Amino acid sequence: MFPKKSPKVTIDYAKCGEHGKVDPRDCTKCMKACDPAIFIIHEPVGVEQDPIDPKQWRITAVWTSLCNKCLKCVEVCPEKAISVSWS
Amino acid sequence: MCQWCMKHGAGGKWYMNAKNYSNELADSLLAREYLTEQWRNFENIYIRKIMGFSSIDLGYKLQMPIIGKLLKWNAEKMIHSDSKNRKAVRGDGHFGQVIPLEDAKVILGNLAAEPIIENYCMCRWMQRGIKECCCINFGQLSGVIEKLPRFIPQNLQYKISREEAIERIEKHNKRGYIASVWFQPVPYINAICSCENPECGGMRLRSDFGLHTVYKSEYAIKVNPDKCQACGMCVQKCQFGSLKLVPSLKRVIVDPMKCWGCGICRHACKHDALEIVPRESIPGLRGIY
Repeated sequence: MFPKKSPKVTIDYAKCGEHGKVDPRDCTKCMKACDPAIFIIHEPVGVEQDPIDPKQWRITAVWTSLCNKCLKCVEVCPEKAISVSWS
Repeated sequence: MCQWCMKHGAGGKWYMNAKNYSNELADSLLAREYLTEQWRNFENIYIRKIMGFSSIDLGYKLQMPIIGKLLKWNAEKMIHSDSKNRKAVRGDGHFGQVIPLEDAKVILGNLAAEPIIENYCMCRWMQRGIKECCCINFGQLSGVIEKLPRFIPQNLQYKISREEAIERIEKHNKRGYIASVWFQPVPYINAICSCENPECGGMRLRSDFGLHTVYKSEYAIKVNPDKCQACGMCVQKCQFGSLKLVPSLKRVIVDPMKCWGCGICRHACKHDALEIVPRESIPGLRGIY
């Protein structure tokens, strides 16, 4: 009755994002490696920052139902922050 | 003609009605406030929870029994909203339509309200991390985007004249980007984009999830079988997979249901075999936008 579960694409924000060493705005390697473009770069919701020029950014896998499990994002991430799993 | 032409087209296409570009209309819709809030928070649009649901894993959510149907109905109601209390952060009332180069030139040459600017594409930045200067915005949106440094190109003239705007849209179109015109918020028109599928936020929702964030153009492509030489150059240009080269027939065939009528493929044809015809003239496509 329920549709097939999408692959789970998780990003470790201790390694990438506002708490990590790398500014996602300068990297974006996963976003370019992903053929179906499932990643979105955005300001973290609920974090107060300068609305004109926000400095904190993170990347989230949004369109995970379109993920084709190629694992290119895992390979290309310099911080080894991305993991993909599916059942 | 779609429902938006009936409502805002004054007897023609909605994007050919000069009233929809006017400053007075923008003021009456409080467009400056709407656009400021929308553009400051644009990258959050798919992350933010709306009535308990965010767009994360939307493909799964839309397929759920009952809930999926409700979600789709509610999402489209929001996208097409023209009520007074629409929320800018979720992009209520922001949607568009694909147009061929000819219509884009008419809009930029005659209808678009000044000042005109060309800034970094929001969608390509959000979905690919690429900053590419190809979005032509005008009217009250220009002043709003100017204040946001992440969208303003550093080494390029971003304030442009009508003639420059026409030149640039033609350049983008010939590169293979699809011209589209946008309500923001409906019925105020202030943007002509050069989109790419699936990097465009609107085309993503339409082509992958069937939500009407972008309407197909008022035209559809027609192949002249006598002129087609089966070189297949046009097939590479189509971003929607509507063209196919059939070697045994020695020509290209069209899937009209997949064609968005952007007319990009024409730029690749050296034999003048492709032309756009009004969508209404093809019986099977009547009323399908």
